[in-house]
Amino acid sequence: MPGPYLGQVVRVHSETSIDAQSGKADRTVVKQMLATGMRALTGDDKPEDSWARFVSPKDVVGVKVNCSGAPRIMSSPEVVAGIVENLIAVGVPAKQIYIYERFDNQLKSAGYEKYVPQGVNITAAESNRGSILGYDPRTYVETSFFGEEDTRSNLVRLVGDTLTKIINVPNMKEHQAAGVTGCLKNIAYGNFSNMDRSHRSEQTNTLSFIGTLAAVEPVRSRTVLNIMDGLRGVWHAGPFSVNARFRFYPKQIMFGTDPVAMDRLLIDVIEAKRKAEGAVSLFERSRDHLGNNSNPNKNRFIREPGHVEYAAKLGLGVYDIEQIKLKAIEL
Amino acid sequence: MLLLLAAALPTLFWDSGSEIAPALKEAGITHIAVPSARAESWKSVSSIKADSVELQGAVKLPTPSVNYRTDQASATRVPWLNSNGWRFLRQPSARFYYDAPGNAAALAAAEAFAFGANALIRTDAEGIKPLGEMLAYLANLPDFEGTPVADFGVIDDGSPVVGEVMNLLVRNNLLFKIVPSLDPQLNLTVLLKAKEIDPRITVVVQQIRSDLTDEKRSVRIYGSAIVIARLTSAAEGVRVHLLNYAATRPVQGIRVRILGRYPKHGADLQDFTVDSNATEFTVPELKIYSAIDLKR
Repeated sequence: MPGPYLGQVVRVHSETSIDAQSGKADRTVVKQMLATGMRALTGDDKPEDSWARFVSPKDVVGVKVNCSGAPRIMSSPEVVAGIVENLIAVGVPAKQIYIYERFDNQLKSAGYEKYVPQGVNITAAESNRGSILGYDPRTYVETSFFGEEDTRSNLVRLVGDTLTKIINVPNMKEHQAAGVTGCLKNIAYGNFSNMDRSHRSEQTNTLSFIGTLAAVEPVRSRTVLNIMDGLRGVWHAGPFSVNARFRFYPKQIMFGTDPVAMDRLLIDVIEAKRKAEGAVSLFERSRDHLGNNSNPNKNRFIREPGHVEYAAKLGLGVYDIEQIKLKAIEL
Repeated sequence: MLLLLAAALPTLFWDSGSEIAPALKEAGITHIAVPSARAESWKSVSSIKADSVELQGAVKLPTPSVNYRTDQASATRVPWLNSNGWRFLRQPSARFYYDAPGNAAALAAAEAFAFGANALIRTDAEGIKPLGEMLAYLANLPDFEGTPVADFGVIDDGSPVVGEVMNLLVRNNLLFKIVPSLDPQLNLTVLLKAKEIDPRITVVVQQIRSDLTDEKRSVRIYGSAIVIARLTSAAEGVRVHLLNYAATRPVQGIRVRILGRYPKHGADLQDFTVDSNATEFTVPELKIYSAIDLKR
């Protein structure tokens, strides 16, 4: 990261990609969106040529999904299946593909196994919640936020030991602490242990921690592509989407290698929806808005959407909206 | 005193009748303590030695345990540990007495052993088997004549407030010993006076930790907030004591960092590393207690 397409984002929107009433995605349309988006990103005529720019048959590819709201919202199985299909099409054996997440219970509730070929690995770092065995003891970020005893956040062992490439598949969600959870949050908090410690009371340290984690090697260099699944979204009380009222359907997928540029655009998507719903901005920092988040103008934390701009300062991508080149495609 | 007591095993205190004897034998418990009034009835029981004791004068201890506090809207998710370590440190010569039913009996035995305390453990029928297993584990540990490691000293005024500070120090794996005055052998000596202590006890503990610095701590624990570590040291190496306060739920993976280079061990450890000034390893599973010997 930020990869070869610095400051470039492709957005593919299709009104028929998902039925907002049933929440059911159309796998055929999703497949078209993936092909269109990848071609538009790389400029190739054939989608397989686009994919071949990022992975080769020798790679061991991790598909970093986001299941923190599963089964209500997660990296859609239709999108993940489409990605896996394309990886196999360029010659990556199924056994060299890993769909992975931190928490086993969340991952299982997504049901990816019903959508992908046999042999594809579906695995979580924490088969037992809280266990550190799925993390690399030698690769960690050490810092103390609130005087916690365990000051380390360790990298998912699979990432350091096995994967050669990572495709990051976040959703389009507001996040109670981080402001939004998109590419950066999914690749950062989704690849390291002991994350809860960064929040306490209304304070969260996501501003600097997200970018710091995303910049850690080998996460940074192995994350070669971001595909943001915006078929569904959450505009408030994310990332879990317990309350259906705060779910919405952007019906789009974004593509890019620059996680900052994509998350910058995500902020606009969430802000626009919040504005339409009469909710305060993600950037609102008044303590008057702290409280029970069943009210869209209340939140448990003072959000830190500035984490996206902070990540730009670490060299992870382009934050300035004037410098972001967006290709918007309607299917 | 702690050194002398280090090898002493805790003892089951059984104040009911001798009809429990078959269960004790099955659990491998061959030495118990009984009230004087019951001593006679145990004389006819073969292969179990029953010492006559009275609890008067013994310090009653709370049952060691963990409270996850899921019923509280808390600013922190750190569980609350009911640990007796600070009591042992404050009263090293005292005799202690636990009421510890079920699996807690095993944890109580391990806790007393790790702190070198002289303790009696009263349990129920469910506690006999786990206690027997723990006593057998403790009895079979290799001999290790170590002294407790302390990274700093505490001048204790004996007050409940200072007791609570020491409790949090133990629970945060900050190794200290009680000293009567400034000890130049230690990195830090802390004078704690009840009247001068910040009522926010956690702030006091954090200040001590900050003054000491994590780099100078002899032991660090990563991956669990419910494990307390103790360390004893001898010429040949160190013994790491790990206590899991969720006695019924094993901890899956704990990373331990010990200050100093100890390249040899005989335990089932993962990802063992020795760098320029520290030794690290992962314990794959911690049930209730584990003693890990590291050699220089």
